[in-house]
Formats: sequence, structure tokens, C-alpha cells
Amino acid sequence: MTWAVWAVTGFLFACGAAMIVLRRQLLAMLMGLELMISAVNIALVYYCSRYADGETLASVLLIIAIAAAEAVVGLSLILKVYEAGREVETESLQELKG
Amino acid sequence: MQRIPGGFAFLPWPVILLFAAPVAALLVSFFIVRPARPRWTHVPILASCAVIAACAIWILSLVLFQNWGLDLPLGGWMVAGDWLVSYGVRVDGLSASVLAMVSIVGGLIHVYASGYMAEDPGFARFFLAFHLFFLAMIGLLLSNSYIQLYLFWELVGFASYLLIGFWWQKKTARRAALQAILTNRLGDFGLFLAALILLAVFHNTRFALIFPAIVNGHYALVSLVGFLLFWAATAKSAQFPLYFWLPDAMEGPTPVSALMHAATMVTAGVFLLARSWPLISTVPVLPDLIAVVGAFTAIAAGIVACAKKDLKRILAYSTVSHLGIMVFGLGLGEVAPAVYHLITHGFFKAVLFLCAGNIAHGLHQPTADLDQVGGLRKKMPFTFVCFTVAALSLGGIWPFAGYFSKDAILDAALHRGPWAIVAGVLIGVTSALYIFRMLFLTFFGPSPRQKGGEHIHEAEPVMAVPVGFITLGTLLGGLLGHSFSTVIKSGWPVAQPIAALPEFSWSTFAVGMSAAAVGAGIAWVIAFVNPSFDWEWRTKYPALESALNSDFGWKPFVRLATAGVVALANAAGFFDHAVVDGAVEGAPRVAGAAGEQGRRLATGRINDYVWWMLAGAAVLLLAVMR
Repeated sequence: MTWAVWAVTGFLFACGAAMIVLRRQLLAMLMGLELMISAVNIALVYYCSRYADGETLASVLLIIAIAAAEAVVGLSLILKVYEAGREVETESLQELKG
Repeated sequence: MQRIPGGFAFLPWPVILLFAAPVAALLVSFFIVRPARPRWTHVPILASCAVIAACAIWILSLVLFQNWGLDLPLGGWMVAGDWLVSYGVRVDGLSASVLAMVSIVGGLIHVYASGYMAEDPGFARFFLAFHLFFLAMIGLLLSNSYIQLYLFWELVGFASYLLIGFWWQKKTARRAALQAILTNRLGDFGLFLAALILLAVFHNTRFALIFPAIVNGHYALVSLVGFLLFWAATAKSAQFPLYFWLPDAMEGPTPVSALMHAATMVTAGVFLLARSWPLISTVPVLPDLIAVVGAFTAIAAGIVACAKKDLKRILAYSTVSHLGIMVFGLGLGEVAPAVYHLITHGFFKAVLFLCAGNIAHGLHQPTADLDQVGGLRKKMPFTFVCFTVAALSLGGIWPFAGYFSKDAILDAALHRGPWAIVAGVLIGVTSALYIFRMLFLTFFGPSPRQKGGEHIHEAEPVMAVPVGFITLGTLLGGLLGHSFSTVIKSGWPVAQPIAALPEFSWSTFAVGMSAAAVGAGIAWVIAFVNPSFDWEWRTKYPALESALNSDFGWKPFVRLATAGVVALANAAGFFDHAVVDGAVEGAPRVAGAAGEQGRRLATGRINDYVWWMLAGAAVLLLAVMR
């Protein structure tokens, strides 16, 4: 059972990381980030049911709340960039170039 | 001797005024009078001179009649454990007697300067620097520790730099000022080192504390301190190795030369030696060395003075020579005669310089040449009388002041041994020779001797009257020998007393008078019997003339040594520029290059930053799992 959980969550985590690294659209990158968080959450849920650990379950709930907050912040940032009349793509957001 | 525990409240009024008057005068002149009425700058300063002279005479009479004295620590400047650098005031016979001479002569030279410099555009600047010079000397005389003395010693040097280079438009004046301060710095280093060694050994530099300890104990480093102090004195008092700055310091205005040669600057070195005498007398060999250096300087400078033509330059070499006599006397162990000569010399040398200044002023020149003058006794009768009195005094003729002090030193020399007798006689002959040559060629004979100077006139009263008063001091100074013996013994810092002036002896009188007569006779022959000789020998014996003009080859040697030092400094500068600066400037260049490479990592694309983030997370993960 454990290997199946690791395979699924590892696959989801890798997909999320690939989205962040490879996609240029900020929205897609944000979705990748959510995917990575969800993958970690699945693994945590498996282990808390296996060891009957309430504290881990609490931290899962905490992570869901943080993910929601993160989505709010991220989406509103993207919205601001959009309202500023700019493309929400990393190619056009390169002010930090050294 | 009365000793009072520290505190300003215990300072008597005359001592407070000695510092308060010049400081107040300088502040008022600088901040109030100079901006509003620059031509009146001298008014507060002359008032301060009057106060200083009155206080100095008051203090001297207290010392003379009541054996009064004071060594008052006023406060700690730097305190660390039992290490103490304090400041305070010391009044004893030595400082009171020299202070009286300095304040009287210096004050009268201030009056003279108010006439001499009246036309100068830098009048206000001159008086401020002049009075600062005076203040520094007063502080030096009243210091009660080596560190405090060193501070005023430096202030004297700095003020002399301002004044020698007063006419900064002249290249020669700038060079002379620079030479004076650099040479003095060379000597100052010795004094600074001496003060630091004393501080390290005794944890204190107060005269009253360290001299008794030195006399009663044995300290290895004190010998070194003695030599360093003498080194410092050779620079300030223009003795042999470091004398050469003084004749060139003639580039300043004449009142500066008079003040510097008579009262303030060059006397500081002799004063330092007299002040440190309890220390120096315990050092083996050093007193003999001092005597030899003094005698050598006195004779050599006296011979060179005989060949000079510029009036102020003759007097400058004569000052070097007479400082040599004082140092010679000190080296023979005769503190009282040396200090007495310091005082009488202050009077007659001031007169001579001011008379030379009157002549130059009459010619409307900064200085005068023997070629331009001659027969001035009719055109400048007053200056002639004053100059004659001072010249007789300098030549050591009875009963003028110079005779009494010089005779006392000669007396010591006659009791020392053959070499000292020869030195004493030679000194007597040469000083009479150069001063009578100057007297005869300036005031007798045709007028003018060669060129220029037909329109010379007598000095105006503001310049004549102070000269007259100082001349009076030259006339009367010899009568005060007995009182001086009483004063100088008062408050001597160690138990062993110093000897008074020697009693009159016919043999010393005969030797001194005949030496002076020989010198005066040669001068008479040069001036009257064979008047063209003084000009002809220069062309007949060019080797002799160039030897005398180069101070027997010492001046070229100094120039060479200076060039060596400059070359060394250039090498050090090259090292500094190439190696030190290279390292300092290389470091930021390396950092800049590294940054230039590093900025390429900052692409500005968010995806690339995420790569770095993931890599960081992976590293952290590995670190945690290990």
C-alpha cells in the first residue's frame, strides 16, 4: 500500500514541480504549486491514518488553510499584474534581471 | 619654598593674568577688532603686553624679595592608574628671571613692530601670530612638566613657522619657513621621545617629582633622555648639527627676527637645558659633549659672521655664536652664568636687530647690505648710540651687561683646562671682531660705501623709543648680577644648589678685555687702516670665501643629506603607491569582477529562480536525511 501512495504522490509532486519550472504562464505556475501542496497532503493523510496520529492530521488541515491563503495572495498578485496592463507571463516580467 | 595643594583657586593673580591677558587679547583681536578695524588689531595686544610685563616684574620681585615660588598642579590631563599626565604652573628663580627678560624685551618689540609693520597689508595677521608666539614662550617658561613643556615647545615652533613665512609671496620666505619647521621637528622628536621615556620610567613628567628621584637613584634610561634633550636643544637653540635654519629665518620681518633671536624661540633650547640640568648633570660624558658642541658652534659661527655682508645675517650668525657661548657655559656646569648670558643677550641682541631694522626701514627694504650703508652716525644718531651700546655689550666690554655674563662663562672656562681657555679666548676675539666690523662699516666711513642709501632717515619715535628702553636694560643689566644670583637659586628643584655667579677676578677681566681688544683692533684695521680689504679678499681668496659662504661645507652637506631623505621618501612613496595602494585597489577590482560574473546568474526569469529554489530544497532535504 505504501508504495502505491508514494508512487501517486511522487507523480503528482513531480507534475507540479514541472509545471512551475517549465510553464511560462503565472496561473499555470500557481496551479503547479497547488498540485505540489496537495501531493504532500495526500502522503500526510496516509501516514496519519496508518499511525493513528492526530497531530499530523492537524498539520494537514493547517496546510490546507495555508494553501488557500497562498492561492488568494498569488491570484491577487496576478490580477494586479493583469490590471497594470501587462502580460501575466514570466517572459515579460524580468525586472530582476541583473 | 611654599607648596600649595592643587587647584585654580590657589593661583595668584599675576600668574593667572600671564595666561589670561594674552589669550583674551588674542580672542578679542581675532573675533572683534580684526573684522571691524584691522588697523587697530595691535591695541588689545599691546595692552596685554603691558599686563604681562607688569606681572612678570611683580613675580620676579616676589621671588627676589620673598623667596617665593610655586609648583602647582592644576589638574590631570590623562590619568591611568598611577600614570599621570598633569598640567600646572611652575614659578621658580629660573623661570621668573627668564620670564622677566622675555616679557620686557618682547613687549617692547611689540611696540616697535606696531611702527615697523604699519604699512604692511598683513598688519592684523602679523600681530595675531606675533602674540601667539609670545604666549607660547610664556607657557613654555611656566610649564611644570615635560609633556606640558613639549606642547608649548611645539606651539613656539608653529608660530615661528607662521612668522618666518609671513611674506609668503616670496619663494625664499616660504622655503625658510619650511626649513625652520622641518629642522625643528627633527629636534622636537628628541624632546617628545625624552618625555615619553620619562613617563614610562617615572609614570609622571613633573620636574619637581622626577629630578629628586633621578639625583638619588640610578636609572639606565635617563642617560638616553639626557642626550635626547640635548638633541632637541640643538635644533631649537641652533647648535652645530641643526643650526642652519636660523640664519635663513631672516626672511621674516625684522621684529620677528628680533623676538625670535632675543626673547622667544632660540632661548627655549637653552632654557630646556638649564631646566633639565639636574638630569643632564647626572649623565656621564654629556656635559663635556655639550661644552664641546657649544664652543665649536660659538667659534665657527663667529668666524662665519665676520665674512657676511647682510646686516641681519651677521646678527643671525652672531646669535648662533652666542647661543653656543651659553651652551658652552652650561656644559661647563655653570647654569647661573649661562642663564645670565641668556638674559643679557636677550637685551643687547634685541637692540642690535631693531637697529638693523631701523636701517632697513630707512632704506625701505626688508634688509640692508653693508655696501648700502656707511657713515650712518650722522644721519641716524639715535640708532648709532643704541647700536654702539649693544655692540659694546656683545663684544664683552666693561661695564656693559654682556661683559658680566660673558666674563662669568669665561671664568669657568679658565678654570677648566687648556682647550676651554683657547675656546673662551677665541670666542671673545671673534665676537668682538664681527660686531665691531659691523659697527665701523655701518656707522663710520663714507656714506654710502658703494651704492644706494642716500635718502636714509632716522626712525620715527614709535620705533626709536622701545629701542631706547631696551638699550637702557643693556646698560643696567650688568649691575643686577648679585640679585640674579639670589633669584636663580630660588626654588631649584633638587637639594644640591647651583653655584652663583663667580666673584670678580682680575685675571678673567684681563683675558676677556684683551681678547675683545684684539678683535676690535682687527676690526679697526679692516674698517679704517685698509678699508678696501673687506672687499678685496673675496676676489683674492675665492676658496676661502666659498668655504665661509657654505659654512665650511656644512650647508652643502645638509643639502645632500636632505636630497637623500627626499630620495628615500620618494622610494617609500613609490612602494606605497605600487604595493600598498595596489593591494588596496586590487581588492575591490577582484570583488567587482566576481560580481560581474555573478550577475549573469540573475536572469530575471521566475522559472530559473524556481530551479535554484528546488535545488536549495533538495540540498536541505539531503542534509536533514543524512
